[in-house]
Amino acid sequence: MMPVFPAGRLNDSMNSGEIQELQTAAIAEIAASGDLSALDAARVKYLGRNGRVQDILLALREAPVDQKRELGRLANEFKNSVQAAVDERREALQSAASVAAFDVTLPGRWPHRGTRHPVTQIIDRAVEIFGQLGFTVADGPDIETPFHNFDALNTPANHPSRDPKDTFYLGDGTLLRTHTSPVQIRVMQSRQPPVRIIAPGRCYRPDTTDATHSANFHQVEGLYVDRKVSLADLKGDLTYFARQMMGPNVKIRFRPHFFPFTEPSVEYDFSCHVCGGKGCRVCKQSGWIEISGAGIVDPNVFKAVGYDSTQYTGYAFGMGVERIAMILLGIPDIRMLYDNDVRVLRQF
Amino acid sequence: MRSVEKHPNADKLSVCRVFDGETELQVVCGAPNVRAGGRYPLARVGATLPDGSLTIKKSKLRGVESFGMLCAADELGLSGDHSGLMELSETWAAGTPLAEVIGPPDTVFELEITPNRPDCLSLIGIARELAAVYRKPLQKPAITGVSEALSTDLSLVKIEDADACARYTARLLEYVTVGPSPDWMQRRLERAGIRAINNVVDITNYVMLETGQPLHAFDRDLLAEGRVVVRRAKKGERMQTLDESEHELDPTMLVIADAVRPVAVAGVMGGAGSEIRNETKNVLLESAWFDPALVRTTSRKLGLSTESSYRFERGADIEGVEWASRRAAQLLIEFAGAKLVGDVVDSRPEAAPLRKIEGPYQKIRDIMGIDVADETIREIFTHLGLGVLDAPSGHYALEIPSFRADLERDVDLVEEVARIHGLDKIPAPSPRAVVDPRAAENGTPRAKAKLRSVLAGLGLSEISNYSFVSDALLDLLDRGNQPKRVPIPRPLSADHSVLRISLAPQMTATLGRNRAHQATRAALYEIGRTFERGADGVVEIERLCIGLFGPVGRIGFDRHSAVESEEIFLWAKGLIEALLATMGLDAPTVTPHPVAYAEQGASVEFHIKGVSIGTLSLLNRSTRKEWRMTDPVAIAELDVAPLLTNALAVRVFHDIPAYPSITRDVAMIVSDSVTHEDIIRVMREAAPPELSAIELFDIFKGPAIGEGRRSVAYSLVYISARRTLTDDEANTYHNSVKGALRKQLSAEIREG
Repeated sequence: MMPVFPAGRLNDSMNSGEIQELQTAAIAEIAASGDLSALDAARVKYLGRNGRVQDILLALREAPVDQKRELGRLANEFKNSVQAAVDERREALQSAASVAAFDVTLPGRWPHRGTRHPVTQIIDRAVEIFGQLGFTVADGPDIETPFHNFDALNTPANHPSRDPKDTFYLGDGTLLRTHTSPVQIRVMQSRQPPVRIIAPGRCYRPDTTDATHSANFHQVEGLYVDRKVSLADLKGDLTYFARQMMGPNVKIRFRPHFFPFTEPSVEYDFSCHVCGGKGCRVCKQSGWIEISGAGIVDPNVFKAVGYDSTQYTGYAFGMGVERIAMILLGIPDIRMLYDNDVRVLRQF
Repeated sequence: MRSVEKHPNADKLSVCRVFDGETELQVVCGAPNVRAGGRYPLARVGATLPDGSLTIKKSKLRGVESFGMLCAADELGLSGDHSGLMELSETWAAGTPLAEVIGPPDTVFELEITPNRPDCLSLIGIARELAAVYRKPLQKPAITGVSEALSTDLSLVKIEDADACARYTARLLEYVTVGPSPDWMQRRLERAGIRAINNVVDITNYVMLETGQPLHAFDRDLLAEGRVVVRRAKKGERMQTLDESEHELDPTMLVIADAVRPVAVAGVMGGAGSEIRNETKNVLLESAWFDPALVRTTSRKLGLSTESSYRFERGADIEGVEWASRRAAQLLIEFAGAKLVGDVVDSRPEAAPLRKIEGPYQKIRDIMGIDVADETIREIFTHLGLGVLDAPSGHYALEIPSFRADLERDVDLVEEVARIHGLDKIPAPSPRAVVDPRAAENGTPRAKAKLRSVLAGLGLSEISNYSFVSDALLDLLDRGNQPKRVPIPRPLSADHSVLRISLAPQMTATLGRNRAHQATRAALYEIGRTFERGADGVVEIERLCIGLFGPVGRIGFDRHSAVESEEIFLWAKGLIEALLATMGLDAPTVTPHPVAYAEQGASVEFHIKGVSIGTLSLLNRSTRKEWRMTDPVAIAELDVAPLLTNALAVRVFHDIPAYPSITRDVAMIVSDSVTHEDIIRVMREAAPPELSAIELFDIFKGPAIGEGRRSVAYSLVYISARRTLTDDEANTYHNSVKGALRKQLSAEIREG
């Protein structure tokens, strides 16, 4: 509400509106002062012994009694806010003067920026996700016995995977593990159910290297043994994993398959995280991305480790780490993961 | 094709007179196989090729007019064949629309059949699966006109190895007319990837695709004494197979022989000497069962993998042998004019009783994790061709047919139900997260994850190299470890012939490769297993390797001035010290230590509590030269296990000082033979416990100091945990430090 002023006040006295206008002008002038001397001139102009503040004080002295209170308040506010503006401006001008001018666009100086290998990143993420489901990490040697790599996994003596064309034998009765499944055997031999483990690790197969094959590669193995573990549990857990790893709407598809160590066996696919299953370049227009194999642990495997298959069932799955890294990170050639070119490593 | 003449102006073109059923056209053609009398697909003026790439117009080729185009199979989108014009059977009248010749559009499904399901390597097997999915009856072709009666004359077939050949049937056919098989049969064979040859061979292949049972037809007139003997090959026996390659056989192999010589490698491939010719009149039709393992080894040894061997290796249906023979005989009668001679010779053991499997339905549901009614499961079994027997309530009892050798136990039936009912119907419930109290065992992975994140925090990029490496690369860094290396007996290549015994060689190669790619600096690490032969076999040791080159430790933009050896060595050393401290380990002691690949005098060993944890070296010049690296390269190799020992330990709070400290500097000139560590040791020994920190803040060498000497300056911090130290006290401590330095290290203390 506008203050109402009585008639008959002195013509040369300032009214309250004029005081406020003066205040605004003073603050603007102070803020615009380009150096300390300009600022000081402005200060003197408004707050000095002969400054404009004197006009206000004069008006206050000459004001009728009933207006003194209001004008007094305005006079105080004028002095305080103009002084604050002067102080603030002085601080800003002094601070600018205290730092030598420099080029803030120069490159930053901190040499350290490390990266984890894409394979490590995928393994760490898988360990983390399955960790949320209560899986612990298990480990086994790279050099394995045929018992752990084949026999205990119900692989027949004449099975093609045992052929030296498909397995590196070291000539002393040992071999380089062809999958991380022997870790299942080692874990089950050492403890009773329930078991929930994942086993990331290196595996080896004499595959000729090309864009999608590498003789040295990584798998993450999963094993869950308890009472009444089912294909539905497998699907549910893999779905959880896929959604955490690839994206929130990813689905799992099972296709029938055959492995000696699981019965029934499936191959599982993720629905394409890029196109959502509609078909795109990443999923080769199929809407699905083949990941790996899984199934219900064959009773013969339980027999080999001394588990009672009338009491327990379990599921097992594998997954190729490089494959997931390539799909998720868009790496076109598996060899790039082993070239260790810093121009590639820096990107992840 | 009425006539073909050479083009007057082009060597490779022909001018053809073509009859299209209505008129004669002139067409210029470049195909090598065009000949008068042949029948070929003709695209007339106005026709567009299936891929839309070309609409045929009247044109002139080298001056000769052409009114159409004779087509190769690829141009019609029918196959990839561009070797010549697509040859059509001469039974077709000129002018027949091509659609009639090639038949209606068809869809070819490519199926991946898992090795446990040889029964599905056939149309009937796939049809049985579909019958179960759609709950429709399976309809096999009806066979008429071929008797199942058994011949009593067994002289036609003699089996010498009944384990390897458990069943052999032979039918004799006469009046056979060899010629092309019907177009529909040729088309189906070609779409299944089998080349059409003649009606007799095509029929055996066609029945194989139908039934999964490989068959073979012999020209009986080419068999000595017109009979067959199933026996092991004799040492040194040789045979030419149908693919015209010559093989030396041995007694591990099974052959079909006539009275004199082998005429087929059993289950793998027929011999050239008894194959069906145009003149063949009398045929001996073989349908048999051979041992899978034996066929596999023979096929491998001879390098011959055929449709036949593929099926026998996985296991043919011993009970289906005769039916397939009967089906083929029916087709030979129908399409090759054949007549049967006598009844079938069937040499076989007594049929084994069918396997029975019993079990509760509930177990199937439990393993699937889905509710499926008993009745539905029973229906699935029935449609899969399994014999459903009476069983107590809640249980099933099945009789397993011979073609399902993969079904041995009750758990094997789960997949049957899951597959037919639909794996898509299995739900994906929320995980049953059960907390495993043994999760604490995850210490090592957690510590290792911490190690990696500390390394990343220190600015290192992780690399990953193969576990295989070449001996040459290992030799380059260290020949001394040769006896401990673990070779791979059958390596993929010489580059991958031995397991790595150290991570340093590949780290060096990685740095060198990046240098060659114009990288100016790199700070890399790898964590990996190394392999070495110990007294009790091969030991796997997890190691950490760090590699640095270039100005990686410089914070400024000074990238161009050369990196000094001392500089990069100290960066690496500082890095390792920071790593150890962050991993919760005590400060290491560092002692000079020879390393095979190090520059003389530029390698050290780190110890914690007297245990060696690894080395740091500057790579020697000769190794660097291999990758033309002129700048110094630092390589550290540490054992991972000791780095993890304290990584997860809880740190306990220590009081921070309550009283002010007093700092005193000391500058001195010492001989170059006096090391920093010598100075620290002397200071520590001479000072009371109040000496809390020592910091080197200057090193100077120069003419003013003199040859073989240097000036060093340290700040020493004195503090008491119980009271405020006085200047006098600090001076007293500091004087005793100075005295010890003078006395023990002949240091010239620079006062003032």
